[in-house]
Amino acid sequence: MAAEGNAIDALSQFELTPVLGVVGASVGFTQSNAHMLLAVGLITALMMWGTAGRAVIPGRLQALAESAYEFVHDMAVGQIGEEGRRFFPFLFSLFMFILFGNLLGLLPYAFTFTSHIAVTFTLAAIVFVLITAVGIAIHGWRWFGYFKPEGLSPALAVLVVPIEIISYLSRPISLSVRLFANMVAGHVMLKVFASFVVMLGTAGFLGFLGAAAPLAINVALVGFEFLVAFLQAYVFAILTSIYLHDAVHLH
Amino acid sequence: MTRWIRLAAAVPACLLGAPGTAALAAEPQSGGMPQLDFGNPLMIAQIVWLLLIFGLLYFVMANYALPRVGEILEERRRRIAADLEAARAAKAEADAAAAAHREATLRARTEAQAAVASALQEAQEEAHRRAEALNARLAEQIAAAEARIAAARDAAMGALRQVATDTAEALVARLIGRADRDAVEAAVGRELATRRQEA
Amino acid sequence: MADRDDFDRRLQEARARQGLDAAPKERGGLPGGAWGIGFRVGVELVSALVVGLAIGWALDRWLGTGPWLLLLFVVLGAAAGVLNVYRVFMPRRGPR
Repeated sequence: MAAEGNAIDALSQFELTPVLGVVGASVGFTQSNAHMLLAVGLITALMMWGTAGRAVIPGRLQALAESAYEFVHDMAVGQIGEEGRRFFPFLFSLFMFILFGNLLGLLPYAFTFTSHIAVTFTLAAIVFVLITAVGIAIHGWRWFGYFKPEGLSPALAVLVVPIEIISYLSRPISLSVRLFANMVAGHVMLKVFASFVVMLGTAGFLGFLGAAAPLAINVALVGFEFLVAFLQAYVFAILTSIYLHDAVHLH
Repeated sequence: MTRWIRLAAAVPACLLGAPGTAALAAEPQSGGMPQLDFGNPLMIAQIVWLLLIFGLLYFVMANYALPRVGEILEERRRRIAADLEAARAAKAEADAAAAAHREATLRARTEAQAAVASALQEAQEEAHRRAEALNARLAEQIAAAEARIAAARDAAMGALRQVATDTAEALVARLIGRADRDAVEAAVGRELATRRQEA
Repeated sequence: MADRDDFDRRLQEARARQGLDAAPKERGGLPGGAWGIGFRVGVELVSALVVGLAIGWALDRWLGTGPWLLLLFVVLGAAAGVLNVYRVFMPRRGPR
């Protein structure tokens, strides 16, 4: 898995393969989707099973569930304002889905569905549709004034409005590319250094010693990837909430 | 942050990885990242499943999980708030009780002091009254004694005059052969008056 | 007396922690870091450029106007990228 022949195969880890035998293949259910389902199961287990006791003094699992709740809740209300409560379930689902996708990918033999641009772009597209729909639903036609800054001469508006529209349309791209690139880069790095470890480790005594360096780098990288996993989920969620703020308040 | 470094490393990794796999002929149709192989029908299926699964997550979170956690947090907040409120009330009560106690002590002390002061004053007045009465009686007795002394002296003086006049008359009669009783009496009276003045 | 003052302080702290009395609130922003910002700048620039490119290409195909709209929208995309980057550092947000 680590190295096939002499080449470092850092990309086959991202390939989609159907699971669940013939049934899975017939409905195109891949290991990516299986990991999504696993993430959903884990999140649900954490939030439902962890809080099953409804203890006033929380246990470890309940404290984790509660701090996740409060973390996203504070983000939603802090960034969007009181209207943020309506979007809190969405923001929470989004944050936890990405966070668990990122973290699951760090387990050995696991698949990272957030390293697929199609997945991250779909999530970003959901966000984009949501912020546009919310903006139009709340402000109606005035929402289109969002693209034209106040007190602008018509001559400049011809130039500025397309730029603003492009900027607005680039939101889902930047949102999805950021998450995708971070996850892919991390996993490619891990795989490359892991391949070095295996290649050097099988190349005799000196190579065995030399393998220690990429191994140490990989250990450090895994720690770093945990940080990135959390940070990218946070960035995705907070940018979504900032966009939602713009949609609700127009600027 | 080493994201740039990682990104920079990812590019050669892609270049390195692609010829490698091509050489192995493991997947001849793909020239690069599997994520960008949008012709793969599994890609569309993945997105459809993603939407279904994410929808499921949202449904479960919005309808079951989050309301429950919110309830638990709200319940705890209420309870802690009630506890803290009770603590504050109890403290206020304790403070009030302490203040009342302090005030009662102060009042008792003041009353005691007043009682002591009034008793002291009464005793002083009584003593004063008694001393005055005693003084008055003493003064009376002194006055009476003085009167008695004065009377005794007057009586003595009267007797003295008689004796002096008689003696003086006899003396004068022996010396000059005769005596003018009235003149002698006047002279003795004069002499006695001057003596009494000197005395 | 010292005990009572201590109790007062602790009660006050407990109330503040629970948000019963007014407590200062801080607002979270994006995490910083030189590499993080650099990466964000790159993503913002490129994504706006890609959108401009796509719009220009689609309009050219639809209207058959040769490469001109493509060129125009690449420039607009670059400008939008710069605008995006500007907003990363200067958020267009009033008091919230």
